Amino acid sequence: MVINMEEFEPKIVGFLCNWCSYAGADLAGTSRIQYPPNIRVIKVMCSGSVDSVYIMRALLEGADGVFIGGCHPGDCHYLDGNYKARRKSVLLKSILDTIGLEKERVWIRWVSASEGQKFADTIKEMTEEIKKLGPNPISKHWNI
Amino acid sequence: MTDKILKVKNGDTVGSVNDLLKDLLNSKKVQALLVMQEVPSKAMAFPVLISNPDKLNSNVFAPVLPVSTASIISKITKIESSSKPIGVVMRSCQIRALIELVKLNQANIDNIVIIGIDCLGTYPVNVYSDFPENTTPTNYLLSNFPKNSNDIKYLRSACKSCKDPIPINADLLIGLYDMNPKKELLIQINSDKGKKLIEGIKLDSAKDTKNREISVKNIREEKNKNRIDFIKEGGKIKGIDALAKFFDKCINCHNCMKVCPICYCKECLFDSSVFNLEANKYIGKAEKKGLFKMPNDSLLFHTTRMNHMVVSCVGCGLCEQACPSDIPLMEIIIPIGENAQKEFDYSPGIDIEKKIPMVIYKEDEYQEVGEK
Repeated sequence: MVINMEEFEPKIVGFLCNWCSYAGADLAGTSRIQYPPNIRVIKVMCSGSVDSVYIMRALLEGADGVFIGGCHPGDCHYLDGNYKARRKSVLLKSILDTIGLEKERVWIRWVSASEGQKFADTIKEMTEEIKKLGPNPISKHWNI
Repeated sequence: MTDKILKVKNGDTVGSVNDLLKDLLNSKKVQALLVMQEVPSKAMAFPVLISNPDKLNSNVFAPVLPVSTASIISKITKIESSSKPIGVVMRSCQIRALIELVKLNQANIDNIVIIGIDCLGTYPVNVYSDFPENTTPTNYLLSNFPKNSNDIKYLRSACKSCKDPIPINADLLIGLYDMNPKKELLIQINSDKGKKLIEGIKLDSAKDTKNREISVKNIREEKNKNRIDFIKEGGKIKGIDALAKFFDKCINCHNCMKVCPICYCKECLFDSSVFNLEANKYIGKAEKKGLFKMPNDSLLFHTTRMNHMVVSCVGCGLCEQACPSDIPLMEIIIPIGENAQKEFDYSPGIDIEKKIPMVIYKEDEYQEVGEK
């Protein structure tokens, strides 16, 4: 199958923390900042609560990218959830790297409630990067 | 602390260790012992909790690991630690697993005295029960000693890729390396607990242990080399095609999780109903891809399990042994564990004071992960 890169619109699953990144996304919306509609947002209470199972499930179900948005380091509503999220993503990326799956499809970024523009810019950047990577090769496997 | 020597009577290595264990029980310094004992048919050896010295007929060297001894200590001590000391005879991988379980608040070793043994490797359960040679597995292994254990046939791949066959956190260590197991064994005292345990028991003092140290160093180097080769080989499983092929035989029985000493959750997420969907959602999933395999989520299970346990993985290989489809799990788990542990500069089961990487953090670490 030849994929026309022009037409490839990546599906990105985004886990946004309730206190910062979700509010940041809200601000981007209310401020009418344009950003690619490729992200499907799931609100979570904390980036630290995003277990690897959610990320792996999204990837194995064929999501082209997974975005985790948390408060800036030091600003976590639960004090240290984002630090733990960061360690979890380091572990996940190490595992993905060892088994040869694309760790570049998993992004973790800090977006505060006041950073509507940053949220839009980050999603735009991620969408472009994932477009360059192409569709997730996992999605064509039915036997996993 | 001076090390001791256990004289082996009539070349009966197993029997002489049993005499020592009986002395320990008789001295009342341990209320009970957890030790490997052969079942009456001799087809298998299991850990037994034994309090009557007359019933003790154990075989600490029985080269088989049917279940995790560490998980058993967890089971015994999790609700409340014992009021009187229990002595446990363990292999190095199980001691490492026990230390991890203590850190995970799943076991209490305040009243546990760990008696480690130098490990020569273990056989798969089926090889042990129907041993192909004309001798018992224990005799086969002891008579081949001190040949490098990786040259010995039938060993489990976990033992071939073992990180360290010599126990580190044992209170008392029964040493084989640099000894002649037909004549004498080393009794190394590593802690006050171990010293207290052995007090009053008649043993000769060990002479110079310098040669022992050299032997231990050599075997560790040898093992490390084997492990690096093993990791190189296993590291070839890369990409979704190779991965899917690797797990093709998985029947989703979750045995690997059930036997894993580190997988301690009372109810695994994958045994719960979290992933049970409504019929229409299954159909929706089928329509998306055209088809999908049932039971689904086997790769999700494995990758998630890796994320949850691999930092603490001690490489005991029970997962591989329990696999009914004979998936060579160690080929993938060992390289993943090695890389992940290196990432966090963590070595499971070594330092009981060092916290597990997933519960701690530094404010200024891994900054490149969050921001480019």
